[in-house]
Amino acid sequence: MRSRVLCSAVLTLAGAVAPAFAWDPGGLAGGRLRLGGDASFALAAEDNGFFNYTDYEDSVLRVARAGATAELRAGPRLSLLGEVRTDNFSSLRAYALYARLRPWAEREVDVQVGRIPPVFGAFARRRYGADNPLVGLPLAYQYLTSLRADALPASADELAANRGRGWLVRYTSGDPRAAPGLPLAAGLRWDTGAQVRVGSAPLQLSAAVTQGTLSNPRLQDDNDGKQLSARLAWRPAAGLVLGASAARGEYLARTLLASLPAEQAGRVYRQQAWGADAEYSRDYWLVRSEVVWSAWDVPALGTPLLPSPVRAAAVSAEGRYKLAPGLWVAARLDHLGFSRIPATAGPITWDAPVSRVELGGGYAAHRNVLVKAAWQRNRRDGGFVRRQDFAVAQVLLWF
Amino acid sequence: MLPAALALFLLAGLDSSATQVRGLVLGSIRGRVVLRREPPPAGQRPSVSELGAPAAPDAPDRRRSVVYLEEAPRGAFEEPPGARRTMDQRNEAFVPYVLPVLAGTTVDFPNSDSTYHNVFSFSKTKRFDLGRYARGRSKSVRFDRPGVVRVFCDIHSHMSAFILVFAHRYFATTDAEGRYRIDGVPPGSYTVVAWNDGQARQSRPVAMPAAGGVVELDFVVP
Repeated sequence: MRSRVLCSAVLTLAGAVAPAFAWDPGGLAGGRLRLGGDASFALAAEDNGFFNYTDYEDSVLRVARAGATAELRAGPRLSLLGEVRTDNFSSLRAYALYARLRPWAEREVDVQVGRIPPVFGAFARRRYGADNPLVGLPLAYQYLTSLRADALPASADELAANRGRGWLVRYTSGDPRAAPGLPLAAGLRWDTGAQVRVGSAPLQLSAAVTQGTLSNPRLQDDNDGKQLSARLAWRPAAGLVLGASAARGEYLARTLLASLPAEQAGRVYRQQAWGADAEYSRDYWLVRSEVVWSAWDVPALGTPLLPSPVRAAAVSAEGRYKLAPGLWVAARLDHLGFSRIPATAGPITWDAPVSRVELGGGYAAHRNVLVKAAWQRNRRDGGFVRRQDFAVAQVLLWF
Repeated sequence: MLPAALALFLLAGLDSSATQVRGLVLGSIRGRVVLRREPPPAGQRPSVSELGAPAAPDAPDRRRSVVYLEEAPRGAFEEPPGARRTMDQRNEAFVPYVLPVLAGTTVDFPNSDSTYHNVFSFSKTKRFDLGRYARGRSKSVRFDRPGVVRVFCDIHSHMSAFILVFAHRYFATTDAEGRYRIDGVPPGSYTVVAWNDGQARQSRPVAMPAAGGVVELDFVVP
């Protein structure tokens, strides 16, 4: 006298599918070992102007990347963390490898030692891919200037001659081989050292001592100089984060210094950088902006003499809006400018200023699978290729 | 498969008769769900890019199971929808971790944390995104289709929960000891399912006698 309803077939089916996208990274070794990972594939036309090349000599618009992260909780106050990555299936690199210690259980003090996340700024600590609403990276963290840590131009004219060629630049002093220049801040490479964070919301102060510099993070020191960097983060209200950063460290390699005349070799050449960042989000909006100023001391070797320091400044602003569940649109405006040097032909910026606009969006069919598409417009006041636009698509999986 | 099952349910629902149900003596099914293996503790993804240890969120109670009748008796669909339930966001965890509701129920998602949360689901049963909102605010979603809805936070990837949307009212959540009780069951033969942490773990047949009463039914989930 009853009818039967197979209503729970829906539940059974969905229940079988759900675990595939519900893998919990906390399930190993009683929760002490946590694993994560991501893989992405981005495709765009050839970057003939090298606008999107990084210090790993890959274009971020044409890269297949895979990474795995692990965190082992060795004790209640000690964790070991690591991340390995490979780009275009070349060598596997330890992107992060450090110990995290909380010396006092009751105090908001954390110490991290090893290959650590950068204290400076905001972008470099964002999770690659999933936390980037677009495909490209901000110029400050990716674009290669024509300055190098292991080679130097002999004069202002030589530096000016290499404007817009930071992807592969060659100078007469130091290492004679052509090699990529330095970005303002390396967004895809972390430094090695020790870092401490004090406080919790709304105010946090972080400081670090590391081997390399902001533009040239290093596993091993190459000049006996250390970098000091710090960031103060303030969260005055939910959804609003304001940050101020500073960094100062010796950046020229010992091998280069040894090749300089005695007068120049005895000096200290530093990169100094300052940063300001802001993020505000509410409802379906997310807005971020970041400014990075950098100054590099350079030795004056020949005439016309290079003024020291040479400076660069980058500003970026980006926004994301969710149109529907899993569907968003985003835009980023970016500019990178440089100070002037007295070349023989007249004053000129020491590298070619770059402007970039990137418009795009993405869709997440599942929580762990994202597809992005963007259009990127690049303009540069120098170099062989002064303008190049890209249509780029990226698929990203993470767990 | 999913739309077909839904269609079956809808057709049967139209055929239900209230008088037949009212004329029967109703009974209860009760028992305990014993999880032989402790569900693994929920955890955050490795926080490699953090400048220190992230705040420790509350651990979701993954031992809670949902027990339900696989096949609902005629007349099970007469309850007027429109109920409200709450899934809180507290200390970076959804509370409760699993929430069974009747189709037509509206679930409120208040934010009790000092940080933003962003509740969303890409489940086929219900796809939604509530956006970012602060402490003290609440947004709601009405669930009209039966099925499993996996709920996440877009800001805190370790936050997750389940909402099970049923077409009938014959379901119950286990308590801290794993006990459950389903009341108002008409006489007949049924299959009872124990569901835990994303999966239907075990199903067992049960017969409710014409005289009603209480039928004991335990589950031991390996």
